[in-house]
Amino acid sequence: MIGKYGIEIYNNKIHYEFEVKRNITIIQGDSATGKTTLIDLIADYGRLGKGSGITLKCDKDCLVLPSTRWKEFIRDSHECIIFVEENLPFIKSKEFAESVNYSDNYFVIVFRDSLPALAYSIEEIYGIREDRDSQKYVNAKRVYNSFYNIYNLDNE
Amino acid sequence: MLNLIYGEVESDNYIFDPDTFFNNTYEDEWITDELSKRMIRDVDKSEVIGPHLIENPVLGPISQKELSGGVKTLILINNDTEHIFNGSACGDNCAKWLIEIGKQKDVTVRLGYFMSFGDEPFEAKVVNTNKIVHSGAELDREVIDNDLL
Repeated sequence: MIGKYGIEIYNNKIHYEFEVKRNITIIQGDSATGKTTLIDLIADYGRLGKGSGITLKCDKDCLVLPSTRWKEFIRDSHECIIFVEENLPFIKSKEFAESVNYSDNYFVIVFRDSLPALAYSIEEIYGIREDRDSQKYVNAKRVYNSFYNIYNLDNE
Repeated sequence: MLNLIYGEVESDNYIFDPDTFFNNTYEDEWITDELSKRMIRDVDKSEVIGPHLIENPVLGPISQKELSGGVKTLILINNDTEHIFNGSACGDNCAKWLIEIGKQKDVTVRLGYFMSFGDEPFEAKVVNTNKIVHSGAELDREVIDNDLL
């Protein structure tokens, strides 16, 4: 799997829009910025589809990695974008790194510690912030969130 | 005193996932405690209405289980000193509250990343090296010089 993929997901209260560019994207940043809420939305959409009340727009399937049988889940998924929550105890394991590195899926991993066994770019480490300046949104009841580069090399 | 352990912790009382641990162990009075209210207001931008109800500006009324992982970890650190919690569940915006809790009691927290403690002086002990540091810059130097991360 190669290329960039835009992801837009929202319910009636919160909206996320971002792009994943490489096989591994890391989400870090402050507490309470909506990292877990984003993963909960993707999980709910994965269980119930449109019946969840959530809208998801992406050219690839977006999935959340389960805490059990995760190796089989990765092995059996192809050309998907797999979101990984930070509370999974195996994230720093060699087994997880091998599963990710040999997979044809993209991974979006919420984790603050470094993951030395995974080959990811510092440019693909993002935080989430409210998109206050955008003029394209019209639903005032919704909070719009987007990703920003935590290590913005262009500005240094 | 705020005691910081960098790197991995192999101990029976270490809690890797404070979010889940909080959901299964919290006491109602932890939520309505004055320090908890201040931390929830600052980090989660939410107001504690009662032990089972919190008002969040985005999500509306939420339960205590829907607080952020960061603020749950802070509340645990302040109320359960028997365990060592994974401070990597906290973002930089929790650092000042770790310092605040450390001024009031002895707590030990594990960190797996360079949390930014800001520019104001504070006191913390790096457990790995037994060194007491007095600023964020001194803390970062201690971590780097001793290859703790």
